[in-house]
Amino acid sequence: MTFAHPWMLLGALAALIPLLVHLFDRRRPRPVPFASLSFVLRSQKRSASRLKLRRLLVYLLRTTVLLALPLALARPEWKSESVAGALAQGPAATALVLDASLSLRFSDGKPLFEKARARARDALARLSPEEPATVVVCTREAGAPPPAGFDRARLRNLLDEAKPTYASVELNRCLEQALRALDDSPLPARRLVVVSDFTQGSLRLEASAPTWKDAAGVVQRPEFQLEDVARDVALSNRALVDLKVLPAVQVGPRAFQFTFTVRNFSDAAAKDVQATLKVGSQVVAKGFVDVPAHGTAQKTLTHRFEEGGSVVGEVALSPDGLAEDDVRPFTLEVPRELRALVVNGQPNPTRYRDEAFFVDAALTAQGSPARPALRDVDAAFREDLSAYDEIFLLNVPAPPEDVAAKLREFVEAGGGLFVSAGDQVDPDAWNVRMGPLLPRPLRVVRTAAGRDDPDADARAERFAQVDDRHPLLSPFTGEAREGLMSSRFFKYALLEAAGAGEAQVLAHFRDGAPALVAARRGKGRVLLFTSTVDRDWSDFSIRTSFLPLMHRTAAWLAGSLDEREALHGRVGETLALPAEASAKAASAESPSGETVPGQRLDSGALALGPFVEPGHHAVLDSGGKPLPGMVVPVTLEAGESDLSRLGEDALSAWFGEASVKAAAASAGPSPVPLWSWLLVVAAVAFFLEGLLLRK
Amino acid sequence: MLDARTLSRLAGARLRARALMEGVLSGLHKSPHQGQSVEFAEHKEYAPGDELRHLDWKAYGKFDRYYVKRFEHETNLRGHLVVDASGSMGFNSHALSKLEVAKALAGALAYLLVRQQDAAGLTVMTGGHVAELPARAAAGHLNALLSRLEELPAQGEADMVAAVDLLAERASGRSFVAVFSDLLDESGVGLQRVLQLRARKHDVAVFHLVDPAELEFPYEDPTLFLSMEGDARMEVNPREIRESYLEEFNAFLESTRRACAEADVSYERVRTDEPLDPVLLRFLSLRSRRRGRR
Repeated sequence: MTFAHPWMLLGALAALIPLLVHLFDRRRPRPVPFASLSFVLRSQKRSASRLKLRRLLVYLLRTTVLLALPLALARPEWKSESVAGALAQGPAATALVLDASLSLRFSDGKPLFEKARARARDALARLSPEEPATVVVCTREAGAPPPAGFDRARLRNLLDEAKPTYASVELNRCLEQALRALDDSPLPARRLVVVSDFTQGSLRLEASAPTWKDAAGVVQRPEFQLEDVARDVALSNRALVDLKVLPAVQVGPRAFQFTFTVRNFSDAAAKDVQATLKVGSQVVAKGFVDVPAHGTAQKTLTHRFEEGGSVVGEVALSPDGLAEDDVRPFTLEVPRELRALVVNGQPNPTRYRDEAFFVDAALTAQGSPARPALRDVDAAFREDLSAYDEIFLLNVPAPPEDVAAKLREFVEAGGGLFVSAGDQVDPDAWNVRMGPLLPRPLRVVRTAAGRDDPDADARAERFAQVDDRHPLLSPFTGEAREGLMSSRFFKYALLEAAGAGEAQVLAHFRDGAPALVAARRGKGRVLLFTSTVDRDWSDFSIRTSFLPLMHRTAAWLAGSLDEREALHGRVGETLALPAEASAKAASAESPSGETVPGQRLDSGALALGPFVEPGHHAVLDSGGKPLPGMVVPVTLEAGESDLSRLGEDALSAWFGEASVKAAAASAGPSPVPLWSWLLVVAAVAFFLEGLLLRK
Repeated sequence: MLDARTLSRLAGARLRARALMEGVLSGLHKSPHQGQSVEFAEHKEYAPGDELRHLDWKAYGKFDRYYVKRFEHETNLRGHLVVDASGSMGFNSHALSKLEVAKALAGALAYLLVRQQDAAGLTVMTGGHVAELPARAAAGHLNALLSRLEELPAQGEADMVAAVDLLAERASGRSFVAVFSDLLDESGVGLQRVLQLRARKHDVAVFHLVDPAELEFPYEDPTLFLSMEGDARMEVNPREIRESYLEEFNAFLESTRRACAEADVSYERVRTDEPLDPVLLRFLSLRSRRRGRR
């Protein structure tokens, strides 16, 4: 039996009042002469035993009322002897460490963190008045706790205001901090009350348990009191651990496939787990996935957007005990329909001999991100280039100086330029007029084999090295790569080793000559293909890989293929924004409305974070207004979704066997609050006393 | 002593005995006895046992059969008023004590008896002994009777048995006996003796005097009750025993009423806080009806 307010027990002395009144009541009854005294005598005799019993009952009821009220105000609780014994360790300076990691957000009807809070409050209430105490709410950012003191109300407030975080925490560090906070206590013992679910990620077992030095300088282990809030809870969990969003070219322009990975951390297989794809607040796709026990499963949902623009959304599983890791936010830049000017450098009445036939066919095919406008050279150079997003110069003679200037201006302003070689391309003229734009200057044309040579197939060049890490070529892996690698090239232009600016060779021929070279010029992009896009110099245009490569080229040139995907944050981490976004950004706003600070790095980039919660974070400018299209999806750490618990052996080795056994004992029936029952008893006694007196 | 309003209401009432009484005083009361007649009533055929002196020889001469003459005489009533003046009769929680009410009722009845030339006597029980004023019809006797009543104090115990024995010894023939008492005799013997008077052909009426405090027991706080006829005392919490007391007392009242009814004795319960004239009127009209039935 424990009392929250033991001093209220002094009120129990009031129970003596009825006895004292009975003993010392000296009131004299009023004498009255009465005629029918014989009847009074008879009634008194007849009722004597009943009256005696009633007086005794009234006395007992009054004593009960006066005893039960102060007892109830003392807030007694009953604990089993084993628990009481486990806790009876003598007075000690005590620190309560409350685990506030993501796993405590698990709920089996009642959130685990609320159970933990209640256990912490109970542990605080059980402390004797002479024990100084402090509270450490263990979060990733937790600072030093207040020094141990006797202000219980302040500690209760700390517990009441504590919230579970979305990140993992390191109990080791919090235990160290808690023990340091007890340094000033003169008591010869230290106690650490650890309230946690003791999942695998909560404690680094390889580190040693904290210790302290007593007055004699002897290293001591503190007494550990473990409050395991998940002992009787089945912590089964599954989580969305990965999400990849890629264009689904095969479905159509502005179509994307959302491939997500579900991991099952529990011992039972998860069947028919519903997954939904939300764009904004609208569910646009649904699917079901089966996940084996302790396994993973992948699922892809596809959605085609009606129009381009910035999109925020999420993939979500049907929620389980830990709903926070069942959602994966994303942002996406859906490309708008691109306008492409295709300049045909060598028109031919026979369509399949036309220089632009295959490119035009590819860009008008289903799934193309661009709408092509086919022009011959003269007509093209008279066009207003600003009406286009990208220009394809296919085997085009070196443009005149004024057109070259317009092209440079077009690319500098963000336009995309594709250049393919051919018989019309004069390397010297091109180098002179278009040198600043070309990734590398052209040198000479090399013939690998004659198309009609008997050994043309063997001598023709092929792709040898393809950089599939680049977004342009990233789809060409596996079987898709075969179509690329089997293309034959009979002639191609050789390039100089270095150009006017930085360039990246995306594909080489077997002889090491560059085949595809990319470069950024100003805000725009340039892609140089050293062979032809018709069948004059190669058969690449009739290969299966030609059409997807053209689609990706059109997308990449317009800058809408891959860069936005990199903007992705994690809880507990910071994110450096890209240079162009950093210029205007100052901070971010979390889903709950909290401000995530931004810090300017030496490079000038802005580092946002650390993020404290998952979800979409709107990037704000210095005036606190959201920047259009700038949203950072923040996801959880995958490790915190693993709710498997530390074994008793591991806990015993770290905390000591006695502490773990005591924790097991205390996990039995929780303390029974008796005060409410005492109030009921007092009320019933009061009612019965009134009833007896009324009779 | 008598309430003027009560006396004026009673002036027109006629007290009639329930049965025909023996007596010599002519008046309103018819005798059940034939023989000493002053007025011929009827003839009756002779039967063995009839007095030969009442044979009507003239009728024998006419009809050759023996007839006996029967006569109707008017007789007077002898009323005996028995008043209990024990200590308990002095109990008073209202305007009048039980004894004062008994005196008023007995005085009124004595006045009525004497006014219609009946004899009225008084027997009082006080201080453990019995005193008697013999029955007379003289007007001067009424004054003496009323004076005796007026001086009567409430004290000691009432010896009802001695009073009834004395009355039985003195009352010759049939008499009207009115008993005024609270009947608080634990043994109940006194009441039994009163009821036995009826067996001796006396016309008996019991006026049972009850104080409202006895009926309602209106005490609340712890009280020390003192006996009015001895040294007994009892400290009780009235609230605790009220229910039990009322049960006991009502049972006593009911048993008394039933005993009187079974013995053909008139029973009138008189609350001391009630007006007295309705009590007397009710009593007299009841007696008048009963006489009519006989």
